[in-house]
Amino acid sequence: MNERGFEPPTPEEARAREALRTLEPPRVDPAFRERLRRDFVAGRMGEPRTLRLPVAWYRQPLWRLAPVAAALLVVVVAVTNRGPAWMVLASAGEGVAVVDQVPVPMGHVEELQRRLRPGVRLQVPVGSEIELASPGGLVVQVTSGTEFRLPAIPGRWVGRWVVGEVRHGEIRVTTGPAFHGARLHVQTPEATVVVTGTTLAVICEPIGTCVCVYDGEVGVGAKGDRMEPVVTGRRRFVFNDGRSPESAEIRPIENERLAAFRQSRGAWLEGREE
Amino acid sequence: MPDPSVSGAPGATAVSPEARTPPERAELERVRTRDSEALAAFFERYVDRVYGFVYRLLGDRAQAEDMTQEVFLKVHRAAHQLDTTRDPGPWLMTIAHNACRDLWRSSAWKLSRRAASLDGDSPLAATLSRGTNDPERDALASERERLVQHALTRLPEPLRVAIVLHDYEGLGHEEIAAITGIRHAAARKRYSRALSALARLLEDSLA
Repeated sequence: MNERGFEPPTPEEARAREALRTLEPPRVDPAFRERLRRDFVAGRMGEPRTLRLPVAWYRQPLWRLAPVAAALLVVVVAVTNRGPAWMVLASAGEGVAVVDQVPVPMGHVEELQRRLRPGVRLQVPVGSEIELASPGGLVVQVTSGTEFRLPAIPGRWVGRWVVGEVRHGEIRVTTGPAFHGARLHVQTPEATVVVTGTTLAVICEPIGTCVCVYDGEVGVGAKGDRMEPVVTGRRRFVFNDGRSPESAEIRPIENERLAAFRQSRGAWLEGREE
Repeated sequence: MPDPSVSGAPGATAVSPEARTPPERAELERVRTRDSEALAAFFERYVDRVYGFVYRLLGDRAQAEDMTQEVFLKVHRAAHQLDTTRDPGPWLMTIAHNACRDLWRSSAWKLSRRAASLDGDSPLAATLSRGTNDPERDALASERERLVQHALTRLPEPLRVAIVLHDYEGLGHEEIAAITGIRHAAARKRYSRALSALARLLEDSLA
């Protein structure tokens, strides 16, 4: 036989062909044959022959999504946990307030509101006053000549402890129902005040800090010292010259101011007044 | 017996005449409906033939087993397309040939061939001949099996297919042309070249 395929094969080709034709058919392995026959008849063909090893739980496809789900949960909690932003409830007086070293006229309430974020340092000019509020939570009255670092708004579920700071001047604080379970730490140069739900004044004076409690109970202590409870109608003075703190009756003038403040803002905090 | 190079019909081949006898049409109808008994009978009738064919093409038992499974998987999936008026043998050979061709084209096959060529000659399976009571005859048959299979695996794949289908499976050129998707004349020419090449490879060993 040649390339055209019509000629008889050569002796070598005939031998090769004969060798191929007389080969014994290869035997199928009996176990393989039986398994394949069973699978073919039962229609289980195509099932993987590889051994399926157990997969560690953390390598299961669903568990691989766990970090993503956890991150998503954190984002959702962080977003929904956030309480309402500080709002300027009222402002009185002329002059220019300073918010983080940026002057803002007291009359520009919207600009003040935009700049008053947790952590900013607010300086209220002499002769003016500003009231900041977190609806339902608390109202802070920042009085004339006060420098105050705004605390964060307590979160709904986590981050319920917040810290503010009074450098000098006076703030009055009254809390509402949404503040329940939260804590406001007010730092002054010489004292720490822990507010858990009350009406009080924190007054920074040249010789120390005076905390007047109109109602409820407040923890007051010198920096690094233990906290002492101060109850309704009492005040505590923490000196900055090393003398021991002193407790006494609330200052009459502060009692009047706090009473008026609580009366005017209590109803608003409880949602009984727009 | 007509000359195979003229008629295209081969003489006696490795595949027995019983294996080439097609099943009854009624039985094939039952295969179409995937009747368990019919599938079992169909499997028993063709498994040796399919395995033998792919083994001759691939030269490796494990690969031949995988390929046989692949072929029967395809048969099971396409059972409803079975033409009951025809012998299913060529249909099976077409499926097997296409599956082998896909394997040869795969990068995994090319990689394994490259690795085998680095290791030297590709490992051939141990002797496949049926044992007899004559050890000398067994040894000769075994050696001849090894030589022929080794020569087959050295042929280019299209030539290997042509000669295995014709001289091992006993198919005519027309059927081979249909299976491999080429013209009749091309199938004959390819077989001619394959036989010449195989003869050259076996020239010394069979002399």
